[in-house]
Amino acid sequence: MNEMTSVFLEQLKNGHVLFDGGLGSLLQARGLPAGVLPETWNITHPEVLIQIHREYLEAGADVVTTNTFGANPFKFPEEKTEEDSYTLREIVTAAVANAKAAVRETGRGFVALDLGPTGKLLEPMGDLSFEDCVSAYAEVVRFGAEAGADFVLIETMSDLYELKAAVLAAKENGALPVIATVAFDASGKLLTGGTPKSVVALLEGLRADALGLNCGLGPDAMAAVAKELLTYASVPVIVQPNAGLPRSEEGRTVYDLGAEDFAAQMKEIIAMGAKGLGGCCGTTPAHIRALREVLQSSAGMSERSDSLRRDATLVTSFADAAEIGDEPIIIGERINPTGKKLLKQALRDEDMEYILNIGLKQQEQGAHLLDVNVGEPGIDEVAMLTRVVKELQSVTELPLQLDSADPEALARAMRIYNGKPMINSVNGKQESMDAVFPLVQKYGGVVVCLCLDEDGIPETADGRIAIAEKIIREAAKYGIEKKDLLIDALCMTVSTDERNAMVTLETVRRSREELGVKTILGVSNISFGLPLREVINAAFYTLAMENGLNAAIINPGSADMMRAYYAFRALKGFDPHLKAYIDACGGGLIAAAATRGAAPAGVNTVPATEAAPSSSEHAGGPLFHAISKGLKAEAVSAAKEALKEREALAIIDEDMMPALDAVGQGFEKGTVFLPQLMMSAEAAKAAFAIIREHLRRQEGEAASKGNIVLATVQGDIHDIGKNIVKVLLENYNYRVIDLGRDVPPEKVVEAALREQAPLVGLSALMTTTVPSMEKTIRLLREQAPEVRVMVGGAVLTKAYADAIGADFYAKDAMGGVTVAERIFAGEAAV
Amino acid sequence: MNTEKVNRKEIAHYLGIHGASPDAQTEEVIEDCLRELSAKVNPKHVFRTYPLALVPPASEEEVPLLHFADIGVQSRDLSRNLAGCDEVLLFGATLGDGADFLIRRYEKTRMSRALVMQASAAAMIEAYCNEINDAWEAEYAAKGFSLKPRFSCGYGDFALEHQKDFLRVLELEKRLGIRLTDGCLMVPTKSVTAVIGIYQERDE
Repeated sequence: MNEMTSVFLEQLKNGHVLFDGGLGSLLQARGLPAGVLPETWNITHPEVLIQIHREYLEAGADVVTTNTFGANPFKFPEEKTEEDSYTLREIVTAAVANAKAAVRETGRGFVALDLGPTGKLLEPMGDLSFEDCVSAYAEVVRFGAEAGADFVLIETMSDLYELKAAVLAAKENGALPVIATVAFDASGKLLTGGTPKSVVALLEGLRADALGLNCGLGPDAMAAVAKELLTYASVPVIVQPNAGLPRSEEGRTVYDLGAEDFAAQMKEIIAMGAKGLGGCCGTTPAHIRALREVLQSSAGMSERSDSLRRDATLVTSFADAAEIGDEPIIIGERINPTGKKLLKQALRDEDMEYILNIGLKQQEQGAHLLDVNVGEPGIDEVAMLTRVVKELQSVTELPLQLDSADPEALARAMRIYNGKPMINSVNGKQESMDAVFPLVQKYGGVVVCLCLDEDGIPETADGRIAIAEKIIREAAKYGIEKKDLLIDALCMTVSTDERNAMVTLETVRRSREELGVKTILGVSNISFGLPLREVINAAFYTLAMENGLNAAIINPGSADMMRAYYAFRALKGFDPHLKAYIDACGGGLIAAAATRGAAPAGVNTVPATEAAPSSSEHAGGPLFHAISKGLKAEAVSAAKEALKEREALAIIDEDMMPALDAVGQGFEKGTVFLPQLMMSAEAAKAAFAIIREHLRRQEGEAASKGNIVLATVQGDIHDIGKNIVKVLLENYNYRVIDLGRDVPPEKVVEAALREQAPLVGLSALMTTTVPSMEKTIRLLREQAPEVRVMVGGAVLTKAYADAIGADFYAKDAMGGVTVAERIFAGEAAV
Repeated sequence: MNTEKVNRKEIAHYLGIHGASPDAQTEEVIEDCLRELSAKVNPKHVFRTYPLALVPPASEEEVPLLHFADIGVQSRDLSRNLAGCDEVLLFGATLGDGADFLIRRYEKTRMSRALVMQASAAAMIEAYCNEINDAWEAEYAAKGFSLKPRFSCGYGDFALEHQKDFLRVLELEKRLGIRLTDGCLMVPTKSVTAVIGIYQERDE
């Protein structure tokens, strides 16, 4: 750390640091034309930049921010492309030099290397991978550090995932302090759903040196969010508002707060305890001068209020934070293959839909977090944990608990996790702590700490508390605070020693009272080897909560456990007006769980279908009805019933296919509509899953009819149509290789060859992407001439399909099935 | 967002149900999707007004050139739409990431619901745009002005490329979280940009 850096951090901690204000509008006022990237002026008009930086320093700013907001490899390439273009290195180097020149000329000030959003979309919304995003920021950071910036300022961020990429890039490419500020809107949320709490949790987890707010709002509107940040943040907080609200005046954007009004509104934020102050859009050197005066006159104003919550234990998803405190938290335990045959199979088949549905089901049942464990012999756990975490975080807003004994699997998953995760687990063995704590130090996280070490699990509470203390001490060496540790006292079954429960409960209580640390338990082991385990589990869960248990890893689908949970909250005053309890009873959460396993009612009372009759004697039976009506649960139980009496293949041929055909014909005639077609398809899919499982047990796997590659073409991000076709084709027993959306022609060709697929289906929704479809067909003709191509999508017609050289045009979802049936039956001629 | 104003017929239309009413089961799913959406979306919009200049083409064959903000647009269809206007209102609106999140969730886990969610969200952003449009119409009517129907890039010969101009001029990335794919499609996908012509009714 150089001298300037430590002086800067010292000043931020102990006094106030005044940042500069807006830059864009000042550049425009000095003649920057519309459409010209402002960063090019670092090189073409250095004198203008130096002048603006100087004006800010002379107005009293301690920090000048480099003109690099939009400087990234997506806008400025590594190599010169044209005579008058600039490389990223040239832009960043010149920007830092301009700021340093101003500092030299005025004799004071720090230089902040500015990083803004990349303007690109990260997965899963877009196609920029997390690692590519980190690399993009890394280049800017390296060039800026080489050029002599004093610290990195990441600002105006609204996507926490992009923010995480930027902070990691800054931390991994030099030793400069990192400050990050985000842009909230008037509702107190980031555009992607983040909250002040989740911002603090993420940034402090990543060890940012300071954090805060900029842009989006004026000082008054920002005060409430600033207060929330100050409540939770342990590091200094920076606030850089706009000069009020923008409006359009003769085609120009102007802001409504003058310098004096702006500074006056900042008084409240200073009084709350913000350490770094400055301005964003619409603010000028005059605003900063007025702010400097206010700052001087408010020296010695009261520090932060006494309602601080810096000890809050927070885990986050891409959106909100879950707080682990006195109110008990449920962590859903179901994504764990131990003892679950279907999940093991799903992991081997990479059946993400199955796994995601387990997660969403637990969310519906009331879990606050989801444990994710994919450790299973024969599975590459490192790759699979990352994959499942990516998939889960794209469909659930619950934070995840990354559960693995493999530090490499944890490291990879923690890196790509969108938020501050829970980690399961570390224990008192030196080897475990040496592996896990450095990861938590780097990526942030709340860690489950098991009370065992090299000597095993102590039999007494004293022994377990001693291990907990050891873990807490070791964590402190890495700067990991108690708030980020959850002690797991461990449950040994009472069937081997009736004192086991008491030891666990005492450890829980003493961890809270004596060590001042929060606790977690996997509850159900307590009853191992006993009959009616749920009875013991639920009672033990209640006792544990009464002894101070903060979080439990349980099955939220267990009626007994959920009853214990809701009843405890109701009795302990955590449930105002007992609303959650009553809702859970009325909404059937508890009651539904209680009847889990019972056959759903109504299977035999489904009204007669209006679908077309079939020659099969079973057409019209319960499974036929359930599928043609799109009733998933009924289809599953009807399939199970049918399997008791009949052959699997007969059921498929006599009940299921006729039902699918009848619905498909109805769709073509216009008596059945797309949503019903899809609901039937899903009911059939669920029934198929039951039948396949049955076949697998008999080692009589039904072979698929063949491989079909599907893709939404390059440039198009609408893939709902393609996904519909996929579901239907799978029901007709084709193996679909789904390449997703925005797929380059080369990738389609490569997949068609690799999978030896006789048929490729291409989808496009926009007229603008049809040329890309044509290009894909041309490439297929060149490199895989035997492959047939069907196309579909909103803008296509038969004539259009012919014009671009497709073999078949599928006018709707069933059209794809018709084409496939013809191709695979050998009737290839159109 | 209040879902009452979302046009159910339009949702049915997006689902391929033309002329008929959806069955009760589908109707129920539609209502349920609207409920789920309304809890998750965060509709927002920004707008600014600019003077409009039309460069008349030298000949019939030449495509007319329009200027507003710092944007130059060559388009016959847009110039027809803006005929008689001296001023335009540019706006951008979005339901936010929430709608895409729900569509993605169900695409991966329950396609039939994804389908209805997608159609419901499309009708919802339309309803939101209509709502703000109506308010502007009333506001301008009070001052003696009328508004042309909104016109988006991608319509007719108004090139989709101009989406970049909307993003820059209205600061849509910073203010609404809208970004563009390489093919100039907006994400969040349930977003709209448009230009609305403002004109004064003249007594002839």
